[in-house]
Order: sequence, then structure tokens, then C-alpha cells
Amino acid sequence: MLTPTEEAALLATLERLKREPSIRYAEVRFVSEKSERLRVRDGRPEQASTGASRGVGIRVLARTWGFACTPELTPQALDVAATRAVRIAAASSMLAREPTPFPAQPAVRGTYETRVVRDPFTVPLDEKMRALEAPVRALLRGGKPIVSADAWMEWVRLEKRLLTTEGTDTTQRFTYGGAGMQVFALGDDGVSQRRSYPTWQGSEGFQAGYERIAALDLMGHTDEIRDEAIGLLSAPACPEGPHDLILDASQVALQIHESCGHPTELDRALGSEISLAGGSFMQPGMLGKLRYGADIVDIVADSTSPGGMGTFGWDDEGSAAGVHPLIERGTFVDYLSSRETAAGLGRSSTGTMRADGWNRPPLIRMVNVSLQPRAGTLDDLIADTQDGIFMLVDKSWSIDDLRLNFQFSCEVAWEIKHGKKTRLLRDPRYTGITNEFWRSCDAICGESEWKLFGISTCGKGDPMQIMQVGHGAAPARFKQVAVGNTGRT
Amino acid sequence: MTGVELLALAKDALARAGAAHAEVFITQRQRGCARFACGELAQHMDLDEPLAVVRVASGSRIAEAQTTSLHPSAIADVIAHAATAAPLLPQTEGFPGFAPRGGVTAAPKRFAEDTAAATPELRTDMLAKVLTKVRAAGLVAAGMLESQRASYAVATTEGCARSHDETMASFKVWALETPGAGGAAGYGGHMHRSIAALDMDEETDRAIRMCALGKNPMELDAGQYDVVLEPAAMAELLEWLSAIAFGAPEVEQGGSPMRLGERITGESVTLAEDATLDDEAFGFGAPFDREGTVRRPIPLIERGVARNILYDRTYAARAGVTSTGSAQLGETGGAGGIGTSNMRMSGGQAANVDELIAGIDRGLYVCRLHYVNGFLETPRAVMTGLTRDGCFLVEHGKISRAVGNMRFTDSLLEGLARSDGMTKERRAIPTWWSAGGCVVAPAVRMRAFAFNGKSQRALVG
Repeated sequence: MLTPTEEAALLATLERLKREPSIRYAEVRFVSEKSERLRVRDGRPEQASTGASRGVGIRVLARTWGFACTPELTPQALDVAATRAVRIAAASSMLAREPTPFPAQPAVRGTYETRVVRDPFTVPLDEKMRALEAPVRALLRGGKPIVSADAWMEWVRLEKRLLTTEGTDTTQRFTYGGAGMQVFALGDDGVSQRRSYPTWQGSEGFQAGYERIAALDLMGHTDEIRDEAIGLLSAPACPEGPHDLILDASQVALQIHESCGHPTELDRALGSEISLAGGSFMQPGMLGKLRYGADIVDIVADSTSPGGMGTFGWDDEGSAAGVHPLIERGTFVDYLSSRETAAGLGRSSTGTMRADGWNRPPLIRMVNVSLQPRAGTLDDLIADTQDGIFMLVDKSWSIDDLRLNFQFSCEVAWEIKHGKKTRLLRDPRYTGITNEFWRSCDAICGESEWKLFGISTCGKGDPMQIMQVGHGAAPARFKQVAVGNTGRT
Repeated sequence: MTGVELLALAKDALARAGAAHAEVFITQRQRGCARFACGELAQHMDLDEPLAVVRVASGSRIAEAQTTSLHPSAIADVIAHAATAAPLLPQTEGFPGFAPRGGVTAAPKRFAEDTAAATPELRTDMLAKVLTKVRAAGLVAAGMLESQRASYAVATTEGCARSHDETMASFKVWALETPGAGGAAGYGGHMHRSIAALDMDEETDRAIRMCALGKNPMELDAGQYDVVLEPAAMAELLEWLSAIAFGAPEVEQGGSPMRLGERITGESVTLAEDATLDDEAFGFGAPFDREGTVRRPIPLIERGVARNILYDRTYAARAGVTSTGSAQLGETGGAGGIGTSNMRMSGGQAANVDELIAGIDRGLYVCRLHYVNGFLETPRAVMTGLTRDGCFLVEHGKISRAVGNMRFTDSLLEGLARSDGMTKERRAIPTWWSAGGCVVAPAVRMRAFAFNGKSQRALVG
């Protein structure tokens, strides 16, 4: 990944930063990213793109932070970038009323690598394209009312070397992937319906190799989503009003993402993310007190989950991966945090600082924020529901700047009467207030229904950074939720 | 590097690689971002964003490759890589070839030396006054000051050669009752090609004023309310409309509300894509797209009637029309979609926002929106989202008091069909999905807009 000359230049830059009198701490982070994005739409290749990105980000701490970067790994370019970072920190420090807290941490050294059975970057391009063309052909079979279908595949190989003035030196190599498909049916009234598999685009990711494509079995699910898309055209709209609501595992994953993952980011809670994302209703004074959810709700931040998009060895400031409960038996107990933010609360970092590439500074990002499974199957849960709505696969998402008032719509829903799925419902949506919603959770399915989803498009920061994060979830039931349809209210 | 230097680099790489049919798009952005929060300058960064994206065609089989290394040999390498991949791909129906040599068009001047030369010390000095002013008001400051220099170039083996240089300075400021726990918030923002021209004082004053006005909000029940949306709120809805409506692929998939030649919204609504204007307040972004097609003014909606959709070269060839210069890189820099870069909504006759408010007996005045999503029912442009940074009850033509944040769910096009007032003055709002470009919008009054929920202001643990 690094040539010996480049490695020597990185080490020399670190040594130079150690000698800077104004600098209390510095990171030199090399990042190399290789990517491949393929998409077939309606039988045509819509995207067949490879990418390579390589460079170094330098973050330094005087009284406060400075960051600069370079795509060049020459001694001269690295020296210029280090000088810029120091100069920025010096300029910013003139305004700092107090030095930024940043407790020292023991140096760590080691390597991490994704377990890959078949390297996706060695799989022939025509084999990958065939794996996408076949399901698209199957989805389009029969013509109208099906009007469009597409399938996609994405691979990222990310290599990182982190060197810090504390002596940390870690090397990590990640392989991320994702694949899926969607189909559109158009009714005579000009209104279209979409169905996707395995879930909505952007949340089907994983950390593994090409072996996961066969396990996804796109071909085995074409009939199901095609038939449902057509069925939705004539289905009745989801009824309005309070109903017991069952969410499939993928929708629970998104619910966790928006209403637990983001509000437990400590930088948000403290006010550092106002310029894009907003704050958080989960304030430090509520730790250990806030009844976030029902007793059966346990949510953990786990950066060690095998195959998770939020799994790693160390974060981008040298904190080790670990497992940290965020919600314990319904009570809010911890944050996703960094060394700086955790210090302000007298706590230790939960190890969540990651940057989107070499030209961005690290931010607190979700790892694998997962709802712990309880017991039973989805069939058991449906059988136990007298009168309810079962919603699957997200279609739209929206939540307020404190992460309280949310509204999601899904691709499809089923009416449940007397323990059975009775009829398809179109345009379902549900809305609520985060803590009221999680307090209404009265059942979570067990281990056999629990899946680890990967979101590859989580946006945060200003300028925007995109990050891979994970969510483990099982289908769950929520009592008397406000549901409706996406028509005008 | 300047645009001319990037163009020379692109031509050099094409010559080195020797591919018969290839296109090279190069961009280089240098961004100085001073991000402040909790009343402190917390993240100050110099960001380099180099990118070369090449496409190589083997007949109508097209492969794309990109790199962040702007060395001629690195770009030639990715051309060679794409040339190897292209024959393995299926054919792209209707591919018309890469852009040919075009006539010389007068490029709008969008470069300000002061922004290009802005230093960390300058940004820090400019922000010192902002932080002091907000603190003196007993409030907490957050926001960002950015100075950006960007250059673009496109070259093809068919002779297309274009380049462009521009600068953009932008300032966003919040004055907050609490750092991150909610409470009243006021916002101000301005973008200009010259950093010296940013109205930072005025925008900071506005944020402080709106925050003071927003204290002690009342709760309002869900329901239909007449509403006045500030330009920043309107721009966010228009960005979503752009995402679901105007691209040829969205129309092909049946999800777009654009039914060409039909009235789809109110007669007062005229919307165009126009990257050609040279005025200082509104001109941002490159005047050509990633394929080298010169962007030309495209009426999208005229007096409520759907007029045109947007194409790249391939979709245009399939439809038998000319590209509108709307090919875009994707969010991650890969092959992207088709969309707007400079959307401009025409203004109305109202002298100012107060005049729009004066025409409301009981309704809402909304400064900004948050987390809008337009995927609910795209053929009707049904959107949902929440108010943010100022939502006020209007009674008898005047702002009476602050209201807690409200959720709306309604069709934008149907809402605009009920619009009976817009300001003459418009503002340029930076797009948050992409660097460069903007949405120009007036303040708009709509009748009976549907609000279906409210936010809680505080929680009991």
C-alpha cells in the first residue's frame, strides 16, 4: 500500500510534528481507496465505474485543532501539508478561550483486515455484469405495468495507516460491498410503485467479499418483488389512525439509525453539528435517567460485530474497537464519543472517530448500533397480533433536528387480522416521537430473525462526509403507533 | 492548477493513453472551511479535492474510471484501465459518442482574487467579530465560513476542450439559545464569489434577531395553515423537486410529476435551469457539464406548465433531442445522474416578506426546513419535513409569536398551485448536495399547506 519511500516520508512528517513546540498531539493518516460501482438499468449498463483515491490527512492540536491534507506522498508535499495544518491550528487558537481537552492515551500498534473468501476485485467484470443483467431481465419479463428495473453492485477496498505523536501505528484493510435490485410498476393513473430487494438502496451493505453475492440470491427474489410491485397498484391505501405496528428488520435498522444512532452522537448532543445536522434531545444530564424505551430495548454500539460495516480494529484517533451499551433495559446509559468529547463528561471514548477519506478530518460516526434480539420468530409475532399493520422496506425518511419527531414511509405493508396477513396495503407511513415510540415496543423477535444491515450512505459533517455504518435488528412490534398513507393529510 | 492548466493536463493524458474514443473531466477544488460551534472555532480545515474522471468507449460499450491523482501518467493509466474494461461491458443503447469540438462560448467570469487568496488568518479574523457579537447577545454561535477556489476542464478525443475557474465564499451563522439541546435558533446566510462582499454583519444580526423572536414558543395543533416560506426553505423544496422530477431517467421510470405540456402547478410558478447568468449574486458553478456540453437556459416549468426535462448526451440521443448540459457526477464522484446545477425560480410582485405576511389572517411564517424527503409519492411531489430555525404564528397580518417546530406533509406542486404571492427579491442558496451551484428562490406564500405533526420541545427523563 505504501512504498518504502512514502512510508519514510510519513514517518519524517510525524517526527517533524513531534518537534513543533505549539503542537500537543498530531495524527498523520494515510488512506488509499479503490472502488467499483456497477449498475444495469432496463438492460443497459447505467454505470460501470472504477475509482482510486489516495492521500494523507494531517490533524494537529495546539490550543485547538487544525487540519490539512495532500494527495501527494512526497516529502515536500507532506511538509507543506503539515505546515498548513500547524498554521491553521495557530490561527484558530487565537480565538480559543480554553485549550481543547484531549486526554493522553497509550499507544497502540496492530493490523486489522476484513475476512474475504473471494476478492471482488479479482472477479471478472463480465461475470459481475451478468450477475446484474439476469435479475433485471427477469424483473422486466412480461412488460407493462412494469416500466423499469435496475440492479447494482458496489465494492470498496479501503486501506488506512494511522501514525500519531503518541506512538500509535495501526494498519487496516477493509473490503466493503453491497448489491440489490428494484422494480417500478406504473398504474393507469400515472402513479408508480417501487419494490426493492434485499432492502432499500443504501442499506444492503456488508464487510466481506464476493461470496456474499451468491448468498443474496437476487434471482430467487425477482418474482416476489415484481408481483408485489404490480399488486400495490391496485392495493388499498394504508388506513389512517393508531395501530399496532410490526416493522421488518430492515425498517427497525433504519429506525435505530435515525432515532438512536444519530441522537447518541456526543458531538451532536454538545452542539458541534448544528451547521448541518442539528443537535440531540439526549443531553448529558439524562445519562442513566432517561427512559428511552421499554425494558426489552437494549441497544449497543459494537465495532467488533463480524461482517458489519461499522466494524474495525481502531478508530481514526487510535481508540480500540469495543462493545458499549447505549440503551440498557430501556435506559439511556452512554454515547458514541471521541477522546475530546468524552473527556468533557469525565468518561472514556467509545472509539467512534472516523473520516471519509484522506481529505476530511475524523468525526464521531456510528459503528454497528444494534438492537439486541429477544425471542420468537416473525411468524410468531404476526400470529400474536390481533389487529395490526406490518410494514417493510423503507421508502422515505425524515426526522427533526433534535431527533424526536420522525416520519417514515415504506414500500409495502400488510394488514394483520387475527394473527394472519390478510391483504397488501400501499403507500404506508408511520410517525411518532422517538422516546414514546421506543417505550411502546412490546416485542422483539429472536436471534433467528436478527440481521446485520450496512448503510453505506450515512451523511454527517460540513462539508458532508459519507460513512459506512451497521445496524443489527430483528422485527419488532410497537403499540398504537400513528400510521397512515402518503396521500395528503 | 487553473482551468487552462487542467485542460492541458487532460489533453496530455489523452495523447499519452492513445485511446481512440475517450473523455477526460478534471476538477480541482481547494476549500478553506472554518466551522464554528458552541461559540468556538472548532474545526478549521484546508481541503484539497482533486478528481479526474475518464470514460473510454469501445463502440457503444463504455467504461469509466477515476483517480484523485492529477499526474499525467496517473490519468493515462486510468484511461488504459477503462479501455481494457470497456469491451467486456454490454452496449449502451443510443450512445452518440463523446462531445465534439464546439464553438467558443463566452464563459461567465466567476472568479474573485480575494476569495482565492483567503488565508486561515483572514477567516479567523472575520469570524472573531461574529463570535463576539453573538456572545454579547447572550447566545451561542455556530456555523461555517468557507472560501473555495475551483477549476474544471473537459477534453475529448473528438475535439471538445473546455475549462473554467471560479470562486465561492459562503457564510452560515446560527444564534442559539442552547448549544445543542434545542430552544430558539436564528439563522443567517450569504454566498458570493468575493469573500469581501459577504454580508456577515447583517446576517449575524439577523440570526440574533430571529433567535430572540423565537424564544418561548407555543405549541400549535396539526392542520392546514397558510404559510410564508423564506427563500432558504423554498430552495430546499426545489432541490427535492429537482431530484425527483427533471431528469430523463426519473421520467422514464414513471416517478416524475413532469407531464410535458400539461399544467402541473400554479400559474405563478416559473422555474428554469440557467447556469449562464453572469450577475454576481446568482452566478455559480461551471458553465458546462461533465461531458463538456455547454449548459444553456432550460425552462422547466413556465406559468405552471411543464415545459422541458433534462438530458445528458445519451438520454438525449435516445429521445431524439439535444443534451441540455445536465450530466452530473454522482455523490461519490462516479457516474452520476442528470440534474440541475443552477435552478432559478421567478419572483413575484411583493416588495418584501412583510407584504406576504400581511396577507395572512392566521398562518405560519417559516424561515428554514429540516430533513425534507421527497420520495413519498413522487408523481405528485409529496414531501415531508420539519421547520427549523424559526417558525412563527401569523395573526391578522403580523407575526404574533414563536411556534415549536412543525412537520409538514403535502404536495409541493399542489401547494404552489395555491400560491398567491411571492417576493420580487430572490436569494441564492448554496445547494447542500454538491459543491458549486445554487438554487435561486423568492419567499413564497402558499394557502392551506398541510402540517401533520409537531415536535416536542423538551423531555422529562
